[in-house]
Amino acid sequence: MSGATAKAARMAPRGAVALRAPALNRGAPAILAAVALALVMSACGSSSSSPSPSALVKSISVSGIKTPQTESLTAGKRGGTLTVLDHEDFEHIDPGEAYFTTDYEVMYATQRPLYSYKPNSFATPSPDMASGPPEVSADGKTITVHIRHGVHFSPPVNREVTSADVAYAIERGANKNVGNAYFENYFGSLVGAEKANGGPFPGITTPDRYTIVFHLSKPEAQVVVDALALPLSAPVPEEFAKQYDAKSPTEYGNYQVATGPYMFKSNGEGKVLGIGYEPGKSATLVRNPNWTPATDFRPAYLNEIDIKIGGDTNVIGRQVLEGSDLVQNDPVANTIVQLAYEHFRSQLQVSPGAGDHYIAVNNKQGPFANIDVRKAFWAALDRTAIGKARGGELVTNVMTHFLLPEIPGFEEAGGLTGPKVDYNEHPEGDLAIAEKYMRLAGYPNGKYTGAKTLQVVGSTGAPSSEVAEIANNTLRSLGFKTKLSLVDQSVMYSKYCGVPAEEIDVCPNVGWGADFADGQAVLDLTFSGKSILPSANNNWGQVDDPAINVAIEKAQLINGQQARAKAWAAIDRELVADAAAIPADWDKEAAIESKDVAGVGDLWNVGAWDYSFTSLK
Amino acid sequence: MTRYIVRRLLWGALLLVLVSALTFVLFRVLPTGDPARLRAGRSASPKVIAAIRVDLGLNRSLPEQFWLYMKGIFLHFNLGYSYYSSASVRSLIADRLPATISLTLGAAAIWLAAGLAVGIVSAVRRRSKLDRAAMGTALVLISAPEYWLGLIALYLFATDIGRLRILPGAGSYVGLTSDPGKWLTSLILPWLVLAATNAAVYARLIRGSLIEVMGEDYIRTARAKGLSERRVVLRHGLRSAINPVMTILGLDIGVLLGGAVLVETVFEIPGIGRLNYDAITHSDFPIVQGTVLVAALFIIVANIVVDVAYAYMDPRVRVS
Repeated sequence: MSGATAKAARMAPRGAVALRAPALNRGAPAILAAVALALVMSACGSSSSSPSPSALVKSISVSGIKTPQTESLTAGKRGGTLTVLDHEDFEHIDPGEAYFTTDYEVMYATQRPLYSYKPNSFATPSPDMASGPPEVSADGKTITVHIRHGVHFSPPVNREVTSADVAYAIERGANKNVGNAYFENYFGSLVGAEKANGGPFPGITTPDRYTIVFHLSKPEAQVVVDALALPLSAPVPEEFAKQYDAKSPTEYGNYQVATGPYMFKSNGEGKVLGIGYEPGKSATLVRNPNWTPATDFRPAYLNEIDIKIGGDTNVIGRQVLEGSDLVQNDPVANTIVQLAYEHFRSQLQVSPGAGDHYIAVNNKQGPFANIDVRKAFWAALDRTAIGKARGGELVTNVMTHFLLPEIPGFEEAGGLTGPKVDYNEHPEGDLAIAEKYMRLAGYPNGKYTGAKTLQVVGSTGAPSSEVAEIANNTLRSLGFKTKLSLVDQSVMYSKYCGVPAEEIDVCPNVGWGADFADGQAVLDLTFSGKSILPSANNNWGQVDDPAINVAIEKAQLINGQQARAKAWAAIDRELVADAAAIPADWDKEAAIESKDVAGVGDLWNVGAWDYSFTSLK
Repeated sequence: MTRYIVRRLLWGALLLVLVSALTFVLFRVLPTGDPARLRAGRSASPKVIAAIRVDLGLNRSLPEQFWLYMKGIFLHFNLGYSYYSSASVRSLIADRLPATISLTLGAAAIWLAAGLAVGIVSAVRRRSKLDRAAMGTALVLISAPEYWLGLIALYLFATDIGRLRILPGAGSYVGLTSDPGKWLTSLILPWLVLAATNAAVYARLIRGSLIEVMGEDYIRTARAKGLSERRVVLRHGLRSAINPVMTILGLDIGVLLGGAVLVETVFEIPGIGRLNYDAITHSDFPIVQGTVLVAALFIIVANIVVDVAYAYMDPRVRVS
């Protein structure tokens, strides 16, 4: 339920999707359906399953370095123009298409989804376009959300936002011209979603101007509730957008309106392309004249945000560290992170929760269909070397199991040190243990003696290529003959690792980032046998263990964060016992700012600077 | 002469068709990624991917796709749309061309002037200290990677991160029409960096060529007629020695108009090279395809210009 890439693509390209979005929990009981709601919300305050900020800070354990949890949200100075130097361009600036960290940086400044996260919050999204928490029916199949009064679209639409605008925004996710990446995964349980094509369908109704109701065909309210914090739920005015949504691909991103404190600079017709956004060159966010602070929790200190796109990351890094009113809001070069750590420490922020990288091995056929061979590979792999290749301890932790550190259930699944199994206990690799498992697998001298040459497909460019080499050398040390191919990351996923028919044995560069803080967002698409697809497959190792499949199906229907955390932690432990894949590293993300910028990083968005909270000193 | 030019143009057009066909094979047939999957974005469902496949015409037969592709390019100059921004590739390229042309032509003027001057002096004063110093420096510049040279230039001279802070650095580029003064100053460092390696190559080329020419009989005759050494070198020697330089100049300009990726990236100049680089990074194949075609067009045109210039200067070329 989520995917890779996103910002984590910063430190190293990864697979599927973008970001994370912590589970949607609420702190106060709703009026209706209190019992069901209480189930959904029950674990909000649970310290046993949900990592507290202090635990997360501890997990990154670098003294003197700021994290998003340590930033003040209210002490900013109003006014000024922030200049952002980004090496990378946006992928999409349409809330229906955006699914990438860099996109989210502007989405959450210009759009207001039903719920969104305050910068220092991982587990508790706040009502944004919604006026309060969602109300979930007792049977978990109906979700009711009331939206705020008095929120207006930016020019040229100008009118007040209604529930019909939220309905249209989500419905257009099923429009093939929009091609939303997560509609089917997260909203697929809505009644009629399977036949939806961009217009109204029975799963979404609007009984009045300020109420929207979601009708589910099965009791999977938690996932739908979680997904309401993604940009797809940000209102879109149908009378304005429909003409653009009729084009393939949609051009709504190029002609858009905003509901957030900022909007892309545009002409009188809402045209953004060539005015407030020049692909590959620049983007300009200005204040939305129709935004009312009284309806929003964002302080919106800045007057304008000028985003310059392109350039070399080493040069950009130095410009930011030595310059004025600047931030870099995409991957920072490793050399610059090191420079900032040594000489500009107060201008460096490191955020936990940037996803993971692991090595997918073919569970279905070939040598890795044997569990002991998988354990041998796990035991032999030097995960500390992989961490060093990715930038060292400042930006990575050795990965020891499959839930991410920010996900409820992480501690129960083993925490940072991981489960106590011998093949997991030596991150630097232990050939003796590896050979023990090779012998158990039927290779008496501890080395592979079969005839097969392993097909290993990794990604080009450092550090991915270095990681692929480390994995390849480890395989050779176990006696395997290998054929290592390095291809572009997108090709690696779309042509090889994501296509089971290609029969790839090892994919050393896959990774994942969760959309919200729930085990389902990490382990479902990647390890459920039911998720295996003939193409665009994210279960890269084709893991299809009947016991795990059943456990995943049961966990999907559980309500309440604590109960869900427990269930997904148990699944994680099963995956480790199965050695379903070989863990490599959990990632953290570095961000830099000029000395006169009071940057506020967005914990939910991998620490990216949040334009609605950042200010100039 | 007209017949010759027409012949060259026809060959150029044929070559362009072949390059277009090659890009089709590269991006549609060989395993560079599934365009529908790339357009759909990460983790898109098979249903969405299938719908996009139909939209992009990928469900048609390969010959049919090829025909539509070629028709789009040659009848409508339609290079498609970016997978990400949905912007027209044609307009993106048109938007980036002025920056690339500014960078290339300015740098070419510098490297040609510097290369000629140094090459002539080195040839005339062969084996002197000046010659050795010039050729030694040329060797260093040829060996220096453009990317590294760009970074050094910025760390030394850029107003924001340099030690001497005398010239605008990365990200300072503005269009000629919006502010000619800033346009000029913002391009000085990129011009110098881009020109450095080429100037060194040209200096060595001109030196070698001129030394060879200066040993010819007609040069001796010119001297015997009492012409000044300056006139002998510039009028008689250089005119012959410059032919190989013209060939390489045409090609170099053609290649650079297709994008000076490294210099554009280091100095954050929004040109064709960076557009191509960003597109490759994101596997935005319509843009990669478009920029490859434009680069091929420039190289073909440059070749034709060089050929025609040769023919104009040397009638034997026309006859052959």
